[in-house]
Amino acid sequence: MRAALVIAAIGVMTAGGAQAEAFKCPKVGGSFTFGQEANVNSLDQMTSNTISTRNIAMNMFEALTTRDENNNPILDLADRMAEAPDHLSYTFTLRPGVKFHNGKPLTSADVVASWDRYSKVGLDRQIFDAVAGWEAPDAMTFVVKMKTAQPTFIEKLSSFSIPVVIVPAEAKDDPPQQLRSIGTGPWQLAQSVPGSFVTLKRYDGYTPNTHFEQRTGFGGYKQACFDQVTFRIVTEGGARVAGLETGELNAVEDVPTKSVDRLKGNANVKLLPLNNWWIQIGVGNATQPPTDDVRVRQAIQAVLDMDEIMDAATDGNYKLNYGFAYPNQPDYVTTGKDTYNQKNADKAKKLLAEAGYKGQPVVLLTNKDYSSMYNAALVVQEQLKAIGINAELKVVDWPTSVQMSQKSDSGWNIFFSGWGTQPALGALATMAFLAPPGAQYRPKDDKDDPDVLAAWRDMSNLPTKDERKAAFGRMQQVILERAYVFPFGSLTKVQASRANVAGFVPFRIPRMSNVYFTN
Amino acid sequence: MSDSPARATIRRLLRHRLFVTGLALFLIVLVLAALAPWITTVDPTKLSIRAKFKPPSMDFVFGTDNLGRSLWSRTVWGARLSVEIGVAVVVLNAIFGTLVGAISGYFRWADAPLMRINDALMAFPAILLAIGITAVLGPSTENVILALAVVYIPRTARIVRASVLVLREMEYVQAAVAAGAGHARILRTHVIPNALAPLIVQLSFLFAYAVLTEATLSFLGLGAVPPTPTWGNIMAEGRQYMIEAPWIITIPGVLLMITVMGLNLLGDGLRDVLDPRLRLQA
Amino acid sequence: MGRLLLLRLAGAVPVLLLVSVVSFGLMRLIPGDPSAAIAGLSATPRMVAQIREQLGLDQPLLTQALHWYGGLLQGDLGRSILLGQSVFWSTMQRLPVTMALSAYALAITLVVGIGAGVLAALRQNTWVDQAAMMVAMLGISVPNFFLGLLFIIWFAVGLGWLPTGGYIAFTDSPWGWFQTSTMPAVSLALLNIGLLARITRSTMLEVLRQDYVRTARAKGLPRHLVVGKHALANAMIPITTVVGIIVSLLVSGSVVTETLFSIPGIGQLLTSAVLGRDYPMVQGGLLLVTALLVLVNLGVDMLYAVLDPRIRYER
Repeated sequence: MRAALVIAAIGVMTAGGAQAEAFKCPKVGGSFTFGQEANVNSLDQMTSNTISTRNIAMNMFEALTTRDENNNPILDLADRMAEAPDHLSYTFTLRPGVKFHNGKPLTSADVVASWDRYSKVGLDRQIFDAVAGWEAPDAMTFVVKMKTAQPTFIEKLSSFSIPVVIVPAEAKDDPPQQLRSIGTGPWQLAQSVPGSFVTLKRYDGYTPNTHFEQRTGFGGYKQACFDQVTFRIVTEGGARVAGLETGELNAVEDVPTKSVDRLKGNANVKLLPLNNWWIQIGVGNATQPPTDDVRVRQAIQAVLDMDEIMDAATDGNYKLNYGFAYPNQPDYVTTGKDTYNQKNADKAKKLLAEAGYKGQPVVLLTNKDYSSMYNAALVVQEQLKAIGINAELKVVDWPTSVQMSQKSDSGWNIFFSGWGTQPALGALATMAFLAPPGAQYRPKDDKDDPDVLAAWRDMSNLPTKDERKAAFGRMQQVILERAYVFPFGSLTKVQASRANVAGFVPFRIPRMSNVYFTN
Repeated sequence: MSDSPARATIRRLLRHRLFVTGLALFLIVLVLAALAPWITTVDPTKLSIRAKFKPPSMDFVFGTDNLGRSLWSRTVWGARLSVEIGVAVVVLNAIFGTLVGAISGYFRWADAPLMRINDALMAFPAILLAIGITAVLGPSTENVILALAVVYIPRTARIVRASVLVLREMEYVQAAVAAGAGHARILRTHVIPNALAPLIVQLSFLFAYAVLTEATLSFLGLGAVPPTPTWGNIMAEGRQYMIEAPWIITIPGVLLMITVMGLNLLGDGLRDVLDPRLRLQA
Repeated sequence: MGRLLLLRLAGAVPVLLLVSVVSFGLMRLIPGDPSAAIAGLSATPRMVAQIREQLGLDQPLLTQALHWYGGLLQGDLGRSILLGQSVFWSTMQRLPVTMALSAYALAITLVVGIGAGVLAALRQNTWVDQAAMMVAMLGISVPNFFLGLLFIIWFAVGLGWLPTGGYIAFTDSPWGWFQTSTMPAVSLALLNIGLLARITRSTMLEVLRQDYVRTARAKGLPRHLVVGKHALANAMIPITTVVGIIVSLLVSGSVVTETLFSIPGIGQLLTSAVLGRDYPMVQGGLLLVTALLVLVNLGVDMLYAVLDPRIRYER
């Protein structure tokens, strides 16, 4: 019964596969230009955790498993997967006919080499913590052996944040950030000019996954319709919008909220809002006074006016949302709801008095690189000052704030951040932020709150999905009631395309397959 | 020293059209800066989310920004900060630039090592060095001043040194040396006063560079700590709204331009009057 | 001449050594390290620790310094952490972009700057002179990032004449290069046009007052010949030194301009390397760029010596 969902989903897909109705590009050809916000450094999908890398690399590389449109695990390069009854091994059979961009057919030796590389340099290699080893009994079979049964293994493995992508065996020893750009995806690298653009071209030797008829999530039946796709780095929001308006760019990410209204009147442009892009959040420091006192943290929580914070953070494009999952997700729980958006100054003042608060500074650690975090901090400062909290801003750049936030004694009380990829992947990924080692709320003396810890263990190890979801509910409740972190709400990001672009469905990462021009 | 040469100089300056124009422009900014606490009614960091993105109008002279802060308050206080930074950088340069320049121009043994360090600092593209220093020290007003001082002192020192090299060989200085006067005394009474004219000219241009570079650093997010209103900060925060709310970047941008132009005109005037030989140096 | 060259080259060595020390030290003192840039927005502390270990950032400073200078001795500038490419290659990839842009800006500067300066000098105290000097004054007073923003608003968004940013290499499409480079080049050039016009004007005025020019005029030589042959040739000497200054100003200016217009040049490379804490990239890149600037200035000095044989100047 474990991983029932995975097996079921795959079973259905297998049964319904291999039929005639698969997606076919209505129009083949053309050159598509996407305006990307951030510079891309390396296309090494195993060692880079930035959105800018994923934007491009997820179109080139594929893995054994991935996630579908609704974030359920599905098979991609694997044709079949069998889980042993004792849950101590997984046997993957590779999809036949798959070839790398260099023309070589995919075999299990490539999978072994890729997993070997990932276990050495892969950023999220804790996926393998419960794995004993892997082997390739024959050219098309790959077996993973577990040390202990881990019900959440496939969920972790199928994550798209830093997936175990499959590369040719000879790339096994490529150093971190230097993976050769040869994958199995529908797009292959044509040219990369760091700081300027990356161009992908259609890979004509691509073999689509016939278990599906349509693209779904990062998997499914994928077809490259354009001749080439260029990701152009355009860092200025205004410039991206202007490029879309003139038609220089066929689609863009991150349209500034202020421009959205103007674009609404433009018949040549389609706006594609991406709800729940991230949870705008403030992380408390439970070691540094005065926020080491739970009552001070609760006072802060009590006074916050989330509408004001989110309005300033996003220029008005947001949804109120409490906790660590979104209403449309299977993980969504309603525990701890009453802690959110209380706007209760009297309660806050009372809590402060109980805590004996005497005007010690509360340092808000934020950065200028992400204006939503910066603006949120400005509003929080003002709201805290209104109840007599001596709130100070500490504005640094993003790398510095990350480094500071990882130490409890570097002089901060609330760290402003945004949790994006993890909530999209599900509660297990998100709550890892608040679990050992190095829980972000900085538990005193590195001793995790035992209630948080117990709920986290249950979340990871209980056998059924329902039990794990209930554990998540408990964890969320404890975290919110003890005010370890302050989720402000969910930020909406807007992508947009020209009106003649079809098949470009908003997703965390732009997918270039099954997208085409209508004229 | 008699009063009349100084008076004559001032009279000549006041008759110099460019100098007077520059002075007038710069005075506008100085007055804004000096009167900031009295001519603004709203705290420049006061948020008012409901009044965001108001274009300039009778209610909001310069409009409001994305968080509803008054741009009038912000630019006026920004003027104050720009002037403070400019003055601090100029003073630091006057002291240390003169010191380094005079020592290296006067003492042969000190020349080579000091000038090598000078050369190394000047070899960096100015803005990158300033970025590096502020990144190390962390963004704050004091650190920006320090960074700008480090970037510009070598340039000032070089100008002072050039004058000192010439003065050192002058007969009256040699005479003083022969008469057994101490080095410190010679530097103080004979050399430095005579090197002042080019220094003053340099410092007036330096004020302009300091204001400009500070704005650039702030614009890149490395200047004075936000939400401190500086012109660069205001423009950096406003750039993402430049199409829909162009006044946010335009107002501080124009003020910045006026300041720099005023100082440049002032410098031109000073140069024409104080040191006509210098016209060939920019 | 040869001796002067050698002397100046030898003088450059300690300068570059100091540059390398300063950039190594500066980078290590900056809080934050490249792991944050690699690990991205959603990194867990464990990922960050893994990256630090992988990059050798957990090693003592001295070991890191020895490693860097050891490589330097063998002509190895190291490898960029973020880009995964060698520093030398990354720099060389970006250099042509900045050089092309600077050359374009320099060409505009020379033509407009010298032209305006000469014209103003010849028509001294007329409206032409005043207009030219007014424009020059504007040029040295407008912050180039402000000008860049205004250009984007006017020419790209408002009029739609030019693309808002991005870069097309000259070798790929000369027309595309012209379109993408014009706004950045003009915004880079304006400051230097101001500088050059002012200096050309005052130099010309001085030269025009000289006896030999007056004599030439008195002999009845045509005006354009006098101006072109006698006056301008002599005015070139101070102008040449200013060009040296302008080249380093262009490199400085490119830091902001390239960031603003999304141009993949040296300025953007180094700024993002500093902000992303890409230690080897900053150290090696700065060293290469300053070495180049030192060479340019040396070239200017040599040119100066050729143009004016009287000068055997030491600085």
